[in-house]
Amino acid sequence: MSFKVIKSSFLSTVQDYGRLNHGEHGMSQSGVMDEHAYTWGNHLLHNDFNDAVVEITFGGLVLEAQIDTFIAVTGADLGFKINNQSVQLWHGLQIHKGDIISWDIPKSGVRAYLSVKGGFDTPVLFDSRSVNLREHIGAKLVKGDVLPCKGFDEATYRFIPPKYVPNYNQDLTIRILPTYQFNEFSINQRDLFFNQNYTITNANDRTGCRLSGAPISIKKERMISEGISYGSVEIATDGLPIILLKDTPSIGGYPKIGTVFSLDLAKLAQRQPNTKLRFKLIDIHEAQKERKKFNEFFEISF
Amino acid sequence: MHNIVSAGENAILIYFGDKIDASLPKKIGNFANQLKNTLSDVVIDAIPSYTSLHVSYDLNKISFQAFFDKVEGLLTQQASSGAGIEAQTTHIPVYYGVEVGLDLERLLSEKNLDLASFIEIHTSQEYLVYAIGFSPVFAFLGEVDKRIQTPRLATPRIKIPAGSVGIAESQTAVYPTDSSGGWNIVGRTLLDLSLENPENIDKFRVGDKVKFYSITRDEYLKNGGNL
Repeated sequence: MSFKVIKSSFLSTVQDYGRLNHGEHGMSQSGVMDEHAYTWGNHLLHNDFNDAVVEITFGGLVLEAQIDTFIAVTGADLGFKINNQSVQLWHGLQIHKGDIISWDIPKSGVRAYLSVKGGFDTPVLFDSRSVNLREHIGAKLVKGDVLPCKGFDEATYRFIPPKYVPNYNQDLTIRILPTYQFNEFSINQRDLFFNQNYTITNANDRTGCRLSGAPISIKKERMISEGISYGSVEIATDGLPIILLKDTPSIGGYPKIGTVFSLDLAKLAQRQPNTKLRFKLIDIHEAQKERKKFNEFFEISF
Repeated sequence: MHNIVSAGENAILIYFGDKIDASLPKKIGNFANQLKNTLSDVVIDAIPSYTSLHVSYDLNKISFQAFFDKVEGLLTQQASSGAGIEAQTTHIPVYYGVEVGLDLERLLSEKNLDLASFIEIHTSQEYLVYAIGFSPVFAFLGEVDKRIQTPRLATPRIKIPAGSVGIAESQTAVYPTDSSGGWNIVGRTLLDLSLENPENIDKFRVGDKVKFYSITRDEYLKNGGNL
């Protein structure tokens, strides 16, 4: 009752919505990098919003089904195939025992999500199935690993209206809330921050995304460490932003100019290096309204 | 006085002071508990650190303004009540030897101390847990005696073995697992702080105390220590 790993890849890990309540124990939030694609994948299969999936970064993974069931693959186009035939993304698909499912190389986007009906049943560690390599919680998938899940002969699945399938090749404007030390940056420095095109660099992983551009200056370079929110934008000593993501440590000591709105972080998770990026302000009421609507639609509740 | 700022679409940061102060960790830890108990239906997580408390909440159930007001109300009440959780003291055995204390020899010569004096200084202090972070079960302990304070390494090491005891400026800490890091390593403990033992998750809480004691090379080896 499982999928078996035939060929491992650069980075494929089991993730769910995350380990949200252990920051006080020094743990990262962890969880999927692209909440949009992940949430749609589970939704297409009528899964729970928190069901575990495989997050495949840059492709290269090959799995064999050892069970009859239903899957959906959402997020990046990494050359997904079933038995060597290209198959549509963002769709519920029936899978039979012995089927080989594989991902090749990125055509568009960075991270693909494999959802299975009922979710992957890997061990729950500290209230979550999310793997965090830095914290030695779980491990990345290697050849021979087995991903347990239930079998299904019948299932219904939903469809996604085409307008919700994102285009990952566009430059990005992401919305940011004025938080933390926002008011301690001078108006001139804030103007510089909001009126330039940054570029996504290669230093871009589950921990954070470093941008290149014109540096902004900061009054204090280091401060007393404090709790970090997912999406916080830290200004490093060189004056350049690092957007802190799912595997970022729970506390940190660099000044932060704001916190990016979560649904825009989902878009960022699919942008390849060299993509241009701009920041734009969003206020808390607008952000909460939009996120609440998303949570209600997908029945995300804690 | 308290200062509350937004930390994101579902998080706030409460400042209890603007300077590191030994009276704050207990106060912040107690308030975190009070907050989690009183507003348990909306609080998701509360991360204490030195002078602040980061709180995330369920935006499905409560708006920023309503949550902000509730927290402010609680902070006012808290000012009058001093009760709270009992602090615990953890005793940690350390082998202070050059084979495992990767920076020990350099430190002794820089600080012009012999090994016995160094051990005496590092073990005589009762340290306070100011924050948990960087990685799980990593407790930031202060304050280190001025005579052995030393800045972080300019270039962090790629791999520091689990159990290594480090110093960075006025802080000391134990690395719970193999990790990268820039602290000056002065010894190693055999005390298992990894999450292989899930009970370790609560080993240190902000406001708790830690005391180190020295073990000999023989004791270290007899109990399974590697050099």
